[in-house]
Amino acid sequence: MTVHTAQSVTPEQVRAVVDTVPDPEMPPVTVGDLGMVRDVVVEAGADGARVVVELIPTYSGCPATQVIREDVAEAVGALTGVSAVEVRFSFAETWTPERISERGRERLRQFAIAPPERRQRPGGCLPAREDAPFALPAARCPICGSGDTTADSPFGPTPCRSSHYCRACRNPFEAMKP
Amino acid sequence: MSAASTGQPDLRLDTADPRLVLLLALGDDELVLGHRHSHWTGVAPHLEEDLAFSSIAQDEIGHAVVWYGLASELTGHDPDALGLGRAPHEYRNAILVERENGDWGYSIARQYLYDTADDVRLSALADSAWTALAQATGAIRREERYHLMHARTWLDRLAHGPVEARRRVTAGLSAALRDALGLFEPLPGEAALVDEAILPTSHADLLQRWLDLVAADLERVGLERVLEEGTSLADADFVPTSSGQMEAPAALSAPHLERRADRWEPVGEFSGHGGRWGRHSEAFTAVWEELTGTYRAHPGARW
Repeated sequence: MTVHTAQSVTPEQVRAVVDTVPDPEMPPVTVGDLGMVRDVVVEAGADGARVVVELIPTYSGCPATQVIREDVAEAVGALTGVSAVEVRFSFAETWTPERISERGRERLRQFAIAPPERRQRPGGCLPAREDAPFALPAARCPICGSGDTTADSPFGPTPCRSSHYCRACRNPFEAMKP
Repeated sequence: MSAASTGQPDLRLDTADPRLVLLLALGDDELVLGHRHSHWTGVAPHLEEDLAFSSIAQDEIGHAVVWYGLASELTGHDPDALGLGRAPHEYRNAILVERENGDWGYSIARQYLYDTADDVRLSALADSAWTALAQATGAIRREERYHLMHARTWLDRLAHGPVEARRRVTAGLSAALRDALGLFEPLPGEAALVDEAILPTSHADLLQRWLDLVAADLERVGLERVLEEGTSLADADFVPTSSGQMEAPAALSAPHLERRADRWEPVGEFSGHGGRWGRHSEAFTAVWEELTGTYRAHPGARW
């Protein structure tokens, strides 16, 4: 976070508000839980602070990003002392499941969506091709907790979710794609 | 006020900047194929495939928005105007992506050939000297893994499937292969892009990388012969789009493929002009009209 001038509103206050904005497609989970906030810049202005919020999209084609942009702008704009808000999406960093907080993982499970298993391999995103073709990893059932599940399809109701089935409790469920 | 706000698809771009041509080729490929994929929504062979093609379509159109976003920074034009506000001959997508979906065999064959090419291209662009471009490939490749997984799974399934499935995917590969080579047509201004390492690998080299991968997959499922048969067909039926103002260059002619020693190689050069120069097949007219219809009817409309 960068402070150019001390203002009545601090980057920490802005960050706290941004963190609580819900994901429109998974309302129990917030922008902060998903680790989407990359930077908050607060600059002094004649009639109040100008705020720039930089977010990392979880999925580049996600139609929810536009809603998130508006919701974040509205929440920050409601803070006292803020005169202008700009919300940007940045690809300077690639979003990975490691960015989801422990609380976010728990909330996803409560929403019956399995959080991605923590990545086994070091380094950035997995290459698209390796000797063994990339395969959708197994997920733990968010309903009963069993690991006895099948990965049915890497596609689901939203771009970021895959479809699974739990052989233990016999429920279909969704997972966030790694 | 942009030209697009009048509802006329007449956004004119100064394509003297080869970076813009590269972004339009990337964005237009994804936009047009994403639109074609979306035609499977509701009518795919089963529910999972409805979801799969709908999801892949959404991803591809999202990726197009990423590329148009970068083009917007270069040109100052709104990304929607860049994606939807151009006349047909201003689009730089390869012919492959504008073809009708045909049957399931063709759709899978095309998705496989295209996404393998996209993977090869994105891997190269990850090392681009243009930082913003290289960074964008991170998020896109993460998502494209699933597309490739989908395409390869179905290629294997159909190739090993009952006789009818194998026949259809073979026919699909034969029909798509020659168009797929058009994905590697050199871009106008490509030499400058390669010199500046914006495109760190030329399309000629990308073609060989793609061919190595495709040949290995086809060999695995016993369909290698398609490489020969698929490119021995007559050159594709390119037509200049009606509004094209080009000086009637020859239609694109692609190299043919030959097995030499232990690998398949393209033999010969590209000549004439195809999609990368704005020259399209008749199939593009229909897809363009549908794709841009809402934008043309309601300029500036927002969701």
